[in-house]
Amino acid sequence: MSITNLLNNWSFYRNKRPYRGQYDLNRQYGEYKWAMAVDLDICTGCNACTTACYAENNLPVVGKHRFEHGQVMHWIRIERYWDEKMGEFPEQGTSFLPMMCQQCEAAPCETVCPVAATSHTNDGLNSQNYHRCIGSRYCSANCPFKVRYFNWWNYPSTAWPAPLEDQLNPDVTVRTKGVMEKCTFCVQRLSEAKSRARTEYRLVRDGEVLPACAQACPTGAISFGNIVDPESKIAKMWKNQQVDLYKDMQEKDNTVRGYRILEDLRPFPSVMYMERVRDAEA
Amino acid sequence: MIHRLLAVLSLAFLCGSAVNAEPFVQGGPIGSQTSDGYNALGPVVQQPIDFPHYRHAKDMGINCMYCHTGARRGYVSVIPREDKCIGCHQNIESVKDKPRIKKLFEYWDKKEPIPWKKVNDLPDFVRFNHERHIQRFYFRQDRPVREVCGYCHGDVANMTVDRRVKSLSMGWCVSCHEKDHKESVTNMKTSHGPNECWQCHK
Repeated sequence: MSITNLLNNWSFYRNKRPYRGQYDLNRQYGEYKWAMAVDLDICTGCNACTTACYAENNLPVVGKHRFEHGQVMHWIRIERYWDEKMGEFPEQGTSFLPMMCQQCEAAPCETVCPVAATSHTNDGLNSQNYHRCIGSRYCSANCPFKVRYFNWWNYPSTAWPAPLEDQLNPDVTVRTKGVMEKCTFCVQRLSEAKSRARTEYRLVRDGEVLPACAQACPTGAISFGNIVDPESKIAKMWKNQQVDLYKDMQEKDNTVRGYRILEDLRPFPSVMYMERVRDAEA
Repeated sequence: MIHRLLAVLSLAFLCGSAVNAEPFVQGGPIGSQTSDGYNALGPVVQQPIDFPHYRHAKDMGINCMYCHTGARRGYVSVIPREDKCIGCHQNIESVKDKPRIKKLFEYWDKKEPIPWKKVNDLPDFVRFNHERHIQRFYFRQDRPVREVCGYCHGDVANMTVDRRVKSLSMGWCVSCHEKDHKESVTNMKTSHGPNECWQCHK
């Protein structure tokens, strides 16, 4: 973002996000808003999404010792929750929740970065610029979902010994020591798909591009798409679950399962989860 | 230990600067800057064959994209494969005895690729898309190809071996992206290039 652009569009950048009309198919840079839906009823907690993310985004494997220090670098993690009430068979009450960056519209991390290394893109993504980051870790402290990961060590020199560097994805930077990183919704795939679509005078088709986690999910629990297009699968899912991107409190029936995590903190996340339905009697 | 390391590093630096006679200076060597401050002549690159761009692009009027076929299709513009050169040159008898063409056929007979060197090299963390620029300015606005490519590559049609003429720095990219450009030949609507970090930084 150049300073000229910032000054010319000052009122735009000072607007409260999100606002109605922010994303519109007719606007030049507002025709995409990437969103996700995770069905916890289908998720089996198999960790395939995490593995796919490691492969796609050049994530270092930190080892057991650093894992214990909380320095693990998974951009998407499976959280496990146990239901106490399940009685005789407690493992019956396990539920899994894949947690990745929620790409909040009013992202708490963006406002606190001292060097503007993290900012909002026109696609509604929360971008992280590794080369501008100075490693203050303020964004991670302010993230209510704890999905930002800090490079405590110089992983490029240790995480991929001799032949392993061949597996690195050339479309993603290998992050060095002292920068913050997080889930990008696989922005390298998105920008490639957008470019291809623009050459052919169209928008990205529904299902044309998927992030690595959604692609790897064996049960199809993760759906992804452009929520601006009312015909897309993801927009229909959000609508059927009566979750509105622009609202911090959803008024909905008891029959639907959709919700967004920590909605009352008003970060307006872009990921909708669908509750697990359980029959406690059975 | 640290002193020894420093000595080795500085030695490596000296050797490096000896190979590239003109090291990169932001804004170009003194005297080469123009009024916009972003023109910066790159180092002279010694290519295996002194490829005459002027002969192909100016004298023969061949479109840049006849050889650099990737420019309209993807991120990189592509240095053509050897069979592209041979495809034409095996039928051009008049220049077959010229030293450059002899060298070309030497590589072809040895079945070796020509080790061209990169002239316009961006850092690894930058995602530059040739396709977007060519589609926008060449196909939609119908501007001449030498002009469109020349925005970044300069007047290659008057060069022998290509040489970088712009600094290719972020400030130079943004200086064009923040200008308003017409969207197409018929449409008077203008818009500027995308202006967010993830558009180029990966």
